Amino acid sequence: MNRVSVTIAVNGQPFTASIEPRQHLADFLRETVGLTGTHLGCEQGVCGACTVEIDGRPQRSCIAFAAACDGSSVRTVEGFDDDPTMQELREAFSTHHGLQCGFCTPGMLITSRDIVRRCGETDERTIREELSGNLCRCTGYMGIVAAVGSVCRGKAPQVKAPPAATPVRAAAVHLPEPAMAATAPRSAARPSAAPAPAAAAFGASAATTAGDGAGWTAIDQSITVAATPDAVWEALGDVRRVASCLPGAEVETLEGEALTGRMSVRFGPIKARFAGEGTVRRDEPARTGRVTGAGRDSGSGSQAAGEVVYRVAAAERPDSTTVAVTIRYRLTGTLAQFSRGALVQDFVRRMAETFAANLSASLAPGADGIPPQAVKPAEMNVLAMLVSVVAGRIRRLFAGR
Amino acid sequence: MKAPVFDYHRASSVQDALAALADGRGDAKAMAGGCSLGPMLNLRLARPARVVDLRHVPELRRVEETEDRLVIGALWTHAEIEDGALPDITNGFLPSVAHGIAYRAVRNRGTIGGSVAHADPAADWITTLLTLDARLLIHAPDGERQASIDTFMLGGYSTELGDDELLSGFILPKLSGRGRWAYHKICRKTGEFAKAIGAVLHDPDRGLVRVVCGAIERTPILLEETSAALGRSSPEAAADLAPVLKGVLKDEIDRRLADHDAVFRQMHHTAVSRALAELGSK
Amino acid sequence: MSHTGIGARVRRKEDARHLIGRGRFVGDIRMPGLRDVAFLRSTYAHARIVAITRPAGSEGSVYTVDDLAGLSPIVTRSTIPGYKESTHWPLASGKVRFVGEPVVMAVAASRAEAEDLCDAVQVEFDPLPVIASSEAGRAPDAPRVHEEWPDNLFLESGFDSGVDEVARTAPVKVTREYRTARQCMHPMEGKGVLAYWDYQASQLVVVTSTQVPHMIRTGLAECLGLDQSRIRVAPPDVGGGFGYKCVLQPEEVLIAWLALTRKTPFRWVEDRREHLTAGANTRQHQYRVTAYADERGRLLGLDAEVMVDTGAYSVWPFTACLEPSQIAGNLPGPYDFQAYRCKTYTVATNKPAFTPYRGVARTGVCFAMELTIDAIARAVGREPVDVRAENLVTAGQMPFTNVTRKHFDSGDYPASLQRAREMIGMEAVRARQGSGEPDGRHIGLGFATYTEQSAHGTTVFSSWGLSVIPGYDQASVKITPDGGVEVRAGIHTIGQGLETTLAQVASEILTIPIERITVTLGDTATTPYSTGAYASRGIVMSGGATSKAAQTVAGQVRRIAAHLMKCAPEEVELRDGRIFAGNRSIAFADVGFAWYMRPDLLPTDVDSRGLEATEAYKPAVDSGVFSYATHAAVVAVDPETGMVEILDYVIVEDCGRRVNPMIVEGQAYGGTAQGIGTALFEESPYDDLGQPLASTLLDYLLPGPTELPSIRMDHFETLSPYSAHGVKGVGEGGAIAPPAAIVNAINDALAPLGAELTEVPATPERILAAILAARGRRSAGQENAA
Repeated sequence: MNRVSVTIAVNGQPFTASIEPRQHLADFLRETVGLTGTHLGCEQGVCGACTVEIDGRPQRSCIAFAAACDGSSVRTVEGFDDDPTMQELREAFSTHHGLQCGFCTPGMLITSRDIVRRCGETDERTIREELSGNLCRCTGYMGIVAAVGSVCRGKAPQVKAPPAATPVRAAAVHLPEPAMAATAPRSAARPSAAPAPAAAAFGASAATTAGDGAGWTAIDQSITVAATPDAVWEALGDVRRVASCLPGAEVETLEGEALTGRMSVRFGPIKARFAGEGTVRRDEPARTGRVTGAGRDSGSGSQAAGEVVYRVAAAERPDSTTVAVTIRYRLTGTLAQFSRGALVQDFVRRMAETFAANLSASLAPGADGIPPQAVKPAEMNVLAMLVSVVAGRIRRLFAGR
Repeated sequence: MKAPVFDYHRASSVQDALAALADGRGDAKAMAGGCSLGPMLNLRLARPARVVDLRHVPELRRVEETEDRLVIGALWTHAEIEDGALPDITNGFLPSVAHGIAYRAVRNRGTIGGSVAHADPAADWITTLLTLDARLLIHAPDGERQASIDTFMLGGYSTELGDDELLSGFILPKLSGRGRWAYHKICRKTGEFAKAIGAVLHDPDRGLVRVVCGAIERTPILLEETSAALGRSSPEAAADLAPVLKGVLKDEIDRRLADHDAVFRQMHHTAVSRALAELGSK
Repeated sequence: MSHTGIGARVRRKEDARHLIGRGRFVGDIRMPGLRDVAFLRSTYAHARIVAITRPAGSEGSVYTVDDLAGLSPIVTRSTIPGYKESTHWPLASGKVRFVGEPVVMAVAASRAEAEDLCDAVQVEFDPLPVIASSEAGRAPDAPRVHEEWPDNLFLESGFDSGVDEVARTAPVKVTREYRTARQCMHPMEGKGVLAYWDYQASQLVVVTSTQVPHMIRTGLAECLGLDQSRIRVAPPDVGGGFGYKCVLQPEEVLIAWLALTRKTPFRWVEDRREHLTAGANTRQHQYRVTAYADERGRLLGLDAEVMVDTGAYSVWPFTACLEPSQIAGNLPGPYDFQAYRCKTYTVATNKPAFTPYRGVARTGVCFAMELTIDAIARAVGREPVDVRAENLVTAGQMPFTNVTRKHFDSGDYPASLQRAREMIGMEAVRARQGSGEPDGRHIGLGFATYTEQSAHGTTVFSSWGLSVIPGYDQASVKITPDGGVEVRAGIHTIGQGLETTLAQVASEILTIPIERITVTLGDTATTPYSTGAYASRGIVMSGGATSKAAQTVAGQVRRIAAHLMKCAPEEVELRDGRIFAGNRSIAFADVGFAWYMRPDLLPTDVDSRGLEATEAYKPAVDSGVFSYATHAAVVAVDPETGMVEILDYVIVEDCGRRVNPMIVEGQAYGGTAQGIGTALFEESPYDDLGQPLASTLLDYLLPGPTELPSIRMDHFETLSPYSAHGVKGVGEGGAIAPPAAIVNAINDALAPLGAELTEVPATPERILAAILAARGRRSAGQENAA
């Protein structure tokens, strides 16, 4: 197992240990050093129970990894017994009933001490704002706010902001001019193709989404192609060609109506790789095709299922064709357990637009069937859409921090 | 909720970091403060084989200055920006935005570069940098390049940054003495991600009159027509939302956010119009 | 000497250890050979388990239900006719019934490695149709959560005193539908359990974060097939309970089974994602209410139909019946009317098992009733507060037995409303509303009055059909040789401060200061029996038992002291921590010394129980003592964003004698904070596939310091005629009224816009949607008029 050696000064005493890089600082303190005052309330960086001082500043020990704190100095609630401000806070918390179950208390005290030192005497609104990164479920914060207020009273701020950094004069450094420096992004060389602009060869794509009450979400997408309906229907019969319009897809087998494949997708730091199987059915008289499939991402244990229905019809313009596509998908598992609807819709919209643009280009007269942005032959468009949605559902996670 | 196994590499320089990323062959992930990546690792949503720690790369904390611009490295924390550790070239805009990000304990570790690279549409820096017309510095194996914020971000959590590239810094315009800004964020909770952001910059001396609508679950948008309308009037006219400006804004929001519901549009319209009003009363 | 007995605002004995980071929670305990446990939980809401494939080399580290030799499932019985039992295997057997249900248990040297093992296990599921709502569960052709059942109803029950006559004749009729969201309780410490085999005592020791240790022992014994004397449940510090930890947890059963089987220590600590997904288990009600009133708004009758989204299993021991029984029994609230019908449907769904949460059912009930009162007031064009006042049971009617046979023991409900009205400054708020706000927001005022049946005992619980019925709670009091006191009780301290308040009760009787009183709680090896900390019963039941035991010990002390001081026992008085006979006094230590060290000094007829006593207690009338309160809120609603700010919040409460006023206030503040969460923020949404859509604290918003107001509070102190010292319970009350008071205030603010909200949480989106809908209706109306 990969391990790293770290030395962290904990409450003034250097502590050296060989640890797994994945161990976060709170577990290091609790399990390795044996100081259990630092509590784990969420391990999502939200509740503040694990707040400790790292190099003099309060930080979350559940999302700071111990390996990243090698060489740092850490102070936990156990390390303030000789600190007069902390003594005052402890008295005040008890006097004002600032704790009930006591679980949030260590993190609350670390934050409170920082407030006293940075803000000094201040108003209740400021104290409440400054405390807002520490959740308490018992007290309604009444006693905590009163306690911190009582300790702040009469004190001047004890911490001064550091002076502003002195900038290097740019005459001495190379600073590309914006006007000339718009180097093209290297998206064409990137394995996960960026979604193409919505505009297809001609004719605009339109996407709409709707839920149906059975866990399915449907997206309608429509493209117009400068080719006859016969030619387009024929071309759509080539499942591999159609699927190649979605980046990240791979077909493994295709036998009659049955296919198996994989679909890889990434969404920020999240990568999912769904393996699954499906069927392809084509209704010649109705000029309607249906691809269904289901797959599982073994990493997250999430599952996706879906179908694509397309209908080919003559467009208004002569010798051109409208392909109406309805994509339905549904998702279960860890990756589904977030909700940020608009973010999902945008992700799906972008995937749908990529698909439409690639399909449109692929079907255009003279095209060789390989969409311009596809890096490798792709398949399983159903799964591709599913996966994009999967990732899209990862909601409001932790940006901006 | 413990992170999956990964290797840890502490980068000593930009070149070292780039080499470590390239060596990861798409399975390495750069980490700055880790305030976004940390929870995703704990949740096992992110499972990189290797984490490349950028916190000890000195170049990522550079501060350089030209006549009209400031260049900063990506690793400045929100708290440092809040506390005025950088020269104030935005008349207080950056420190004010920094103060409103999450909570102090998060601001003490989270960085501006980490936030922008993570590209959550509801986060503050993306919208702020678009409002400032800032540019991004990107280090790739073959050298340094620049990007503009609106093309850099492709959508939620999605950017043009390659697996082997680093977001290394930002080029910020220096505002003139007369430059004003306003930033209105609608949140249900202190420190929570925004439901809507309206941001306005008015600095005709620098040719910057920009109205931005953010937290729209995709790349924030520059409201070009509203910006132009503001440019034609005075900032004071924004205080009571002069009817002409109001009409332009309403039309533009309704059009640009047409695929969102009425409640969503209402919320964003309010954020931007309040930012305009605050600009006018500054 | 300062008084530390009943009524003293003393600092808590619990505080010191927490303030220096030396609290001892389950997760803080390490033992040699300890193995950590992780669970692979279902990702499907409803599916057959087709196959489970374990990674190579995982023998002895990965368990499925088939490995649980000797273990019986959790089956919760009830005597209520028509109730259907569920069979709840702690690891899913055959099929899974909710997302988050444990399927596989993995053990390893660390939690991270146990999670790695879970990742390596492959479970093949065959998805089944999902019951994701009460409506879906009641559909005629709905698939079954439990196949052996004829439908998806745990119970169909209700109350009917006849409403047809009133329905025909009442001049005013108001109908509304209400919804309360599914929630998680979120104690900051989740569940956690560590178990090991104690060879010396030949006992299975279960260190678990629970509110009800003695009941857990009974439940574990049933599931493990073990004598209760072979099990010791020893709860450590508990980081909040709120009801979440008042039932037997499947994980407790599993960790206990591991330790019993393997005879080595095992530990599992719930993480926040587990809590958010597998623990979304409470509050979700739907109401359809029709109220009948006269032209002044005097209630004539109430007709209600209520559905509870109960989840897949019936929790032990409280059953799936507790919630509907509380709904039907409490919906009439503090009001006096006689025509009442309430039909309840307790629907099994593919969600976690419904668990009683602080305020049990009454938060939803109060929301439905109090919004209805305001709707009646609007219908008759009167101030809601006046309509409310005219309907409340009055002080002169006490004790009062209402339509559902609730026996209100004492109090002045209209006075609490009147006092809240004064404190909130209703007239000033109305004047301010008339002049409008400079920032364009709308101000609204709302009230809610409720009763909190606390410490309800044997008669009430037996009417709910439970198999475990609380009766006598016990406590022991003992004088130490040096004159200190030890109190032991089987109830547990979970943040509510019982270490302190039980010491205060003992101090009240013995006059010994609480600094010299040690309180030991919860450990089944060292404390006498209590069913535990729930139903706002601690201070009434364990307080009563402590008082009684202390009085017995006081008698023992008096007799020995009288002998030592050569006077009659009647001449002996305990005062200021000493023992007086006239002007002479001796110390408790003198009596302790005599009993323990100098038996030659004792009277020949000394009480051979010595200086200790265990007593059992229940109130003379055990149907519960009724605390009550009125909450009043002033809110500002931003019509452009739907955001709500609480401008003022007032509580006027009466919980009888306050043992420690500081703790009473803390309970009320904390409960109110949770109620405000229910009102404005907290929600565990599910999609149609039964997937929980909140798995982080960024999805599920808990109110923080800036979202909560600075609460103003006043107290009445009407002693209960039935309880020792006149105390009533106070733990739950705060959580009951806020959704009602706040949404009434929001609706008051929205009234000029024609919008009305009937659902919590009152999110900005819901409020904006209501405003936009009202705007749409109005412009449509104007068009029609034109």
